[in-house]
Amino acid sequence: MIVRIPSEGQYNLPGAFIDDLNDVDNKLVEAVELEDEPQFEKLLKEMLDLVRNNGTLLPVDELVESDLVLPEPDITLIEAEEMFVGEGLLPD
Amino acid sequence: MGVLSRMSTIVKSKMNRLLDSAENPNEQLDYAYDEQRKMLQNVKRGIVEMVTAKRRLQLQAEKVKTNIATVDNQARQALAAGREDLARMALQRKQAAMIELDGLDAQITQLEGEQEKLTQSEQRLAQKVEAFKSKKEIIKAQYSAAQAQVRIGSALNGLSEEMGDVQLSVERAEAKTETMRAKAGAIDELADLGVLDDVSGTSSDPLSKELAELTASQNVEDELAALRAGLPPADDKRALPGG
Repeated sequence: MIVRIPSEGQYNLPGAFIDDLNDVDNKLVEAVELEDEPQFEKLLKEMLDLVRNNGTLLPVDELVESDLVLPEPDITLIEAEEMFVGEGLLPD
Repeated sequence: MGVLSRMSTIVKSKMNRLLDSAENPNEQLDYAYDEQRKMLQNVKRGIVEMVTAKRRLQLQAEKVKTNIATVDNQARQALAAGREDLARMALQRKQAAMIELDGLDAQITQLEGEQEKLTQSEQRLAQKVEAFKSKKEIIKAQYSAAQAQVRIGSALNGLSEEMGDVQLSVERAEAKTETMRAKAGAIDELADLGVLDDVSGTSSDPLSKELAELTASQNVEDELAALRAGLPPADDKRALPGG
């Protein structure tokens, strides 16, 4: 499974980790809804580290689409909230 | 919808228009390549903007440092003249200026981080663009239009995503710089309007005036003392009066 960490690159993550990733993702959504900033930051780091530690970085000249894109490593809770409403982080 | 799927959609949708805009695969390939080159220019411009903004903040920090030295000196002179009230006010200004300096330093560090990140993005994209260029020529030379359509799909999607990522970084960096610029501009404007005290002491408020007068009279006293001691008023302090 190809996973992108924005501003860092793409990782090849073994499929076995998809459940773990989904689990953290669900908790992250919860933290955003509760506006629990410490929990949000902790979970975001957990999610990024899961991919960084268990995946292998793709060679830079490889051109493939990701199956998943993680949030930016420096995303704030407020930005994450905005991602769920309106047009998101990238207005046209 | 989870953060992951939402984020994936955002980054991927950024460049999807690219795929629809050209008629045949060869055209699509060339068009995509042109777009990537433009994107690289975009990133380079973003980096230049970042450097300019940083330079501006550095100049502002220099100015504040000079002001700190000035009010510090004023405080000493005020105290020497027995004006503790004035010295206290000067030190209050010094404190305010030091808080401002801390803020500026933090912003400069943040901009340096953004600049570093963008530079890395630029290098990564440049390598991707080169990889795409060779792939494009191979596909053009070896495959019929229908075959090429299949071959380029994946590479083009991968590249579009990379560009979406870089575009996101540039936009975020620019938004951060814009916020800092607005903040710095607001401080300048308030100082111009006299809402904030100009810590350099050049404004015409009573404290600055008094401190300036004190400094001036202190300078006069110093020179007088120097004259009395038979010294030239210049700062040639080695020429101590002979006994």
